[in-house]
Amino acid sequence: MFSPTPFRDVYLTAAYDLREMMRSRRALVIVVLYLTVAAFFSYNFVRILNLTQNFTVTPPRWQREVRGPAPQTAGRVSAEPPVQRAAPGLTQGAFFARGSPFRDMLGTLVTEPATMDYLTAKPLISLYFMLVSLVSVPFLIMITASEPIAQEQQTRGVRFVMLRTGRVEYVAGKALGQGLLIALVLILSAGVCMAVADWKLVDFDFVPTARAMAAFWPRVVAYCVPFVGLAILSSMLSSSTMSARAFSLIGLLALWTVHELADYLSDTSVAGFFNAMDHLDPYYYQMRLWEPGYATVGPAMAILAGLGVLYVAIGLIFYVRRDL
Amino acid sequence: MSVADAALSLSGVGKRYGRITALKGMDLQVPRGSIFGLVGQNGAGKTTTFAIACGYLRADRGTVSLLGEGRFNPRRHRGRVTALPQDAALGRDFTLVDQLMFLGRLQGIGRKAIRGEVERILHLVDLTSRAGTRTRTLSHGMLRRLGIGQAFLGNPELVLLDEPTNGLDPRQAHDIRAFIASQRGTRTIVVSSHNLHEIETVCDRVALMEAGKVAVSGPSAEVTGRNDEILITLGEGPLPLAAVEQALAGDTVTWDEKTRVLRIRYEARPERQGEDVIGMALRALLAADARIGEVSRGQSLERTYLELPGGKK
Repeated sequence: MFSPTPFRDVYLTAAYDLREMMRSRRALVIVVLYLTVAAFFSYNFVRILNLTQNFTVTPPRWQREVRGPAPQTAGRVSAEPPVQRAAPGLTQGAFFARGSPFRDMLGTLVTEPATMDYLTAKPLISLYFMLVSLVSVPFLIMITASEPIAQEQQTRGVRFVMLRTGRVEYVAGKALGQGLLIALVLILSAGVCMAVADWKLVDFDFVPTARAMAAFWPRVVAYCVPFVGLAILSSMLSSSTMSARAFSLIGLLALWTVHELADYLSDTSVAGFFNAMDHLDPYYYQMRLWEPGYATVGPAMAILAGLGVLYVAIGLIFYVRRDL
Repeated sequence: MSVADAALSLSGVGKRYGRITALKGMDLQVPRGSIFGLVGQNGAGKTTTFAIACGYLRADRGTVSLLGEGRFNPRRHRGRVTALPQDAALGRDFTLVDQLMFLGRLQGIGRKAIRGEVERILHLVDLTSRAGTRTRTLSHGMLRRLGIGQAFLGNPELVLLDEPTNGLDPRQAHDIRAFIASQRGTRTIVVSSHNLHEIETVCDRVALMEAGKVAVSGPSAEVTGRNDEILITLGEGPLPLAAVEQALAGDTVTWDEKTRVLRIRYEARPERQGEDVIGMALRALLAADARIGEVSRGQSLERTYLELPGGKK
C-alpha cells in the first residue's frame, strides 16, 4: 500500500498532475471558469459601488452627519470618501459609517465588536473577494477537482502508476496537485478583482487592497482544503469523471444540508447529533474565518485542513481495497 | 518448484465479477529467468491473472507471490516488477520523454540517470524520432511500443506483458517478438496472448488456460510434444504401417485415417534422438513407395490447444 519514498512520490505525482493540467485544456478551462466568476462578480460589485456613490451625492441624514456629499465622476467612483476616509478602500465610509443600514446588516452576522472593527477597516473589494470565494469556490471545486483519479481510473492509466507507488501516495499527490491549482487560481482571481476595480474606480487603493487580499488568501485556501478533500473522495469512489462530479456535488449538497439542519433543529431533541455532525462540516467554520487575528482563525484553519485530510482518508479506506 | 524459486506463483487463486467467475482456483508457477507464455481464448482469465499479480485486482481467495516475496507491494516490488497492462492509456498530453521520465522517477530511478535511461528505452522500442512529441499524436502501434518500453525502464526482474503485439502490423509484431526473445536469460517475462504462433515463437515455457484455470503447463517442447512425438502426413498411396512399426519397435505408432497423419510417440534417449527416429521412419516409408507430404516434430501449440477439452469452439 505504501511506497518506500512516500513524500517524494507525493511530490512527483502532484507535479505530474499539475503539469498535465497545464498542458491540457483542463487547466485552461479551470482558469477561465474561475476568472470569469471573479470578473463577473467583481464587475457587478463595482457597479453597486457606483450606485452607492451616486446615492451618496444626496446622502440621508445619517450619512450627512458622518461624511457629507460625495463628488460625482463620469462612470467611475471616487475611492476617496467625500470628507474624510475612515480606512483604505472604496466608499468605505458610506457602507460602514456608524448607524448605516449596511453596518447594521453586518452587525446581525458579526456580533463581536472587534470583528466588526476589523472587517470595516478592510477595503471593500477584499471583503467582497473573500465573500464570493467562500460562497462560490466550493461549488467550482466540486466541478473541477473531482476528475483526476476517476479519469485515470476510466482510462486505466492508473495501472501504469500503481506498479511504481502506493495508493496513498498517489491519492495524496492528486489532492496536493488539485489544492495547489486552486490556490494558484485564487491568486489569479484576486488579481482579476483588483484589475476590475482598478479599471472602474478612481484612485483605487491598490496596495492596501492587495495587502488585505493577501491576508485573506490563506483563509480562503484553508477553507478550500476540505472541499478539495471531498472532491478527491468522490473521485476515488468513481470510475468516470461524470459520476465523480455528480458524487461531489451531492456531497456538497449534503454538507450544506447538514449545516442548515444543525441550525434549524438547534432546539429539538436531535440537536446534539446534528451539532456533532456540523463540527465535521466546513460550513461550520466559515464565519470564524472573518475574525481578526490568528488566535481564532488559526485553529479554524487547522481544523479545516484536518477535515480535508479526514475526507481523503475516508475515501482511502475504500480506495486501497478497490479493484483498479 | 517452490514459491521462493518462482518469479511468479499463484496458488488456488479465485476471482469473481458479480455472477461471473473469472478464475477458478488458478495454479501457476513461473520459473525465474524464463519467458513464459500464458495462452487462452478471450475470457479464459489471462488478463485477470495479470491484474491480480500486479495488485490491480484483489483475489477472492488463494495466494499470490512475486519474486518469492508475497503479493505485490510497492515497498518491496517497485521497479522490480513492471507490466504492460491491457487497454490502459498513458497521459495524452505529455511528450514521450516526459511520460517515461515521470514513470522512471516514480519507480526510483535517480534524477541524473533518468534521461539516459529514457533515451535507452526510446531507442529500444524505435521511438527516438518521436521523443519530443505528445503521446496523443502516436499511432496505436507506437503507443503499444511505448507501453512495452515503459515496462523495461530500469532493470525489472519480472515483466508482465498483456497482449504485447495486439493491434501491431506484422513488421512491428515481429520486432517486438524479437525484442522479447532478446531478453531471454536477463529477466523473467510473462507474455499473455491468444496468438499461439507468437507464444510458440518466443516462449520457452507455456501454460494453457481454460475457463479460469490452467489446463496444461510446462516447457513448450513438452506441451507440444516436440521432444517425444513425430507426425508424418502421407498422401494417397501405399500405407506401410507394419513396416514402420517393425522399424520402430518399442515406440507407439498410430494412424489417423481421417487426417492421414502417422503419429509416432517415442522416448528420447541420448543415443536415439528425434532425428534418428525420423530417419528410421522415413526409410521404412520410402522403401514402400509411400508418398510423404509433411514431417513435423510434435504438433503446433495451436493443435495442442484445440485438443484440450473445450478447446474446439
